Amino acid sequence: MISLQERSCRPADFAAELARIGGRLMLLFVTDSGSGRELCAIMRVGSSVVRLRAPLTGRSYPAVTPRVPAAHWFEREIHDLWGNVPEGHPRLEPLVRHGPELGDIALPANGEMGAGHQGAERLSGPGVFVFPYGPVRSGVFEAAQFLVQTGGEDVAYCAQRLFFKRRGAERRICEVPLELAVLVAERVSGTSSVAHALAFSHAIEVLSETEVPPRAQAIRRTLAELERMYNHIEVAVRECEDAALSVAQAQFAALKERLHRLGGEIVGNRFLRGAVVPGGVRFDLTGELADRTGQILREWERDYRHVLAMLLRTDSFLDRLVSAGPLSERDARDFACVGPVARGSGVDLDTRREFPCDGYGDLQVARHTDGDAMARMEVRFQEIDASLELIREALGSLVDGPIRHELGAFVRDAALGAAESARGETLYWLEAGGPDTLRFCKLRAASFVNYGIFNRLFDSQVLTDFSFIEHSLGLSPAGCDA
Amino acid sequence: MIRWFLRGVSHRRLTTRFPRSPEPAPAGFRARAVLDPKTATADPGRCVEVCLPGALSLDGAGRPRLDAGRCIGCGLCVDACGDGSLAIDPGYELATTTRSRLIVADDEREADISPSPLGGAFRRSLHIRHVDTGSDGAIEQEIAALLNPYYDMQRLGLFFTASPRHADVLLVTGPVTQPMEQPLRRTYEAMPEPRVVIAAGTDACSGSIWTGPEVLGGVDRVLPVDVYIPGDPPSPIALLHGLLLAAGRVSEASPPRLPGAAPSPVGGAV
Repeated sequence: MISLQERSCRPADFAAELARIGGRLMLLFVTDSGSGRELCAIMRVGSSVVRLRAPLTGRSYPAVTPRVPAAHWFEREIHDLWGNVPEGHPRLEPLVRHGPELGDIALPANGEMGAGHQGAERLSGPGVFVFPYGPVRSGVFEAAQFLVQTGGEDVAYCAQRLFFKRRGAERRICEVPLELAVLVAERVSGTSSVAHALAFSHAIEVLSETEVPPRAQAIRRTLAELERMYNHIEVAVRECEDAALSVAQAQFAALKERLHRLGGEIVGNRFLRGAVVPGGVRFDLTGELADRTGQILREWERDYRHVLAMLLRTDSFLDRLVSAGPLSERDARDFACVGPVARGSGVDLDTRREFPCDGYGDLQVARHTDGDAMARMEVRFQEIDASLELIREALGSLVDGPIRHELGAFVRDAALGAAESARGETLYWLEAGGPDTLRFCKLRAASFVNYGIFNRLFDSQVLTDFSFIEHSLGLSPAGCDA
Repeated sequence: MIRWFLRGVSHRRLTTRFPRSPEPAPAGFRARAVLDPKTATADPGRCVEVCLPGALSLDGAGRPRLDAGRCIGCGLCVDACGDGSLAIDPGYELATTTRSRLIVADDEREADISPSPLGGAFRRSLHIRHVDTGSDGAIEQEIAALLNPYYDMQRLGLFFTASPRHADVLLVTGPVTQPMEQPLRRTYEAMPEPRVVIAAGTDACSGSIWTGPEVLGGVDRVLPVDVYIPGDPPSPIALLHGLLLAAGRVSEASPPRLPGAAPSPVGGAV
């Protein structure tokens, strides 16, 4: 249960007040309750969560970004969606919206970049050219675009361009009947379905003050950790592919496939969808299924350890990851990065410990200080170990009892729900419109914040590092774009 | 490197024999809902209410109609209905060549099985260009899984290609968001003929749960679609089935009718 400290101020003082409060910026958005627009920030300060609000009376307000860099994409989003101008934002270009002409700029064949688009930080010099990569990319990838500026070998600058995949998930969540909204949350980022369903459900459970039964908590932990494992293995598959280690790639891909098959067996969906609902879970993990899960994971762990030990002795893999895509701890903190990206740069942050839900107890957070692709990879491998242990513990604590409690009517106006996906902190801010309707939803996937620092990872990097750096972040454009 | 070589050759064979022998889905796998429109007696309105993507609807006579091209396999309708007229089907081989063949209704007639869209021109070798137009990201991982040792699609002569100029098949995922319409068209136009468009995943087939100004609502709103692969997301075997259907090497799926239910309007109930 996340409790909020409420603060409010005038919009002119908003940025100064946020900087004074300090802490980590989780969310910044505009909401309209019918009586006028309101600028709202959610901050993590020490062990509490602060909501700072300011009524937006004029069209503009002093930008937060110069004082709190983590606000950079949030403010561009506000500008795109609401038209309110953050005065003094260092780079107020379109982020979410694609103007009519952007259909063209999005094409690999078209090298032209108009002013005002992301990537407008354009370099000049002999032989420098812009290589727009995406949104249709070579290989099977999600739609995203990277504008690589290069003279041939060194990456001079690389700008990321997302939001090709915006489907309006926040609006859909409020539109559909409450009992079905979790199905939308599951499909925001299909590879973090459990985490999104959990974060959404946590918020609903706060709004309606519903307790989750202990048996459901153990099942939720099992599913959340399975999801973390297959996503971390996916990063290993991609990095092996980039390093041209075909056998290692095949071995990790086979390990990943086994986790998906396990999901198909225990909840009927390879991406673990349809199981988590507000108030509990829909499918029970019967004794037989729990035993089978335990047995499959024991065999899985044996093979995984063997392949991993080989991988960590393979120089051609280590050479490519060590020192690739460095992210300083200062950048990770300034831009409020989350997940393995933050933990690889020394930030001690894990939602499972920050906002304990679903019976997560004392958690040892894996952390590295090198800040490169290898550090992020090692954080993931350590987390797989922790996940295996957490699943063993969860399967052992499947106490008898119900797996789902009926939701009561909403008794609160607004609530924050959080869950740690494989990519990091996933947030849902929900405002109730009635006893069983939602008026407003603001969701923020881990990928939204972590994509924000993509352009900062190419300091003294070369073109062939690109895919190692990209895959070391392990992000989901679908989650970012929502 | 020799260690990896030895590891590779010492591993037992994992690869499926599909399509030579069928690959069954695990019991309880939620691929799609199936319906017997004849036997629906209880409250069909309730099952329609809990269907988020609108796969279940009622016809003029109040009889339920099921569109597998919208179904996300959540199974809420089966729980809500409880009269045995609906069930969840664990099948993998679900691809069809027409949108209408994904639909089962009381007054529906069996659609003809159409020949392969490529006319058998690429039976042995098919090059695939993938375009994401707003998927949730899971289907890309399922497509990439076709290269893992369990599925190994190259054994069937199926290959991914980076350039649309070399592609026979355009494999499209996602409900087609506004900013992806132009890139999708341009990729299609860059392909040589004959070419096949596959809508992969329920949201590519129909838009599914995504409606609103952000999305166009299915690939066939933009391009002529030759093969529909429903599924949320379709499993790798379902994707293989759809790709082989495009090449004319397997037969297409039946409409989502409850097993045992009669295929024609004159048939009896279960």
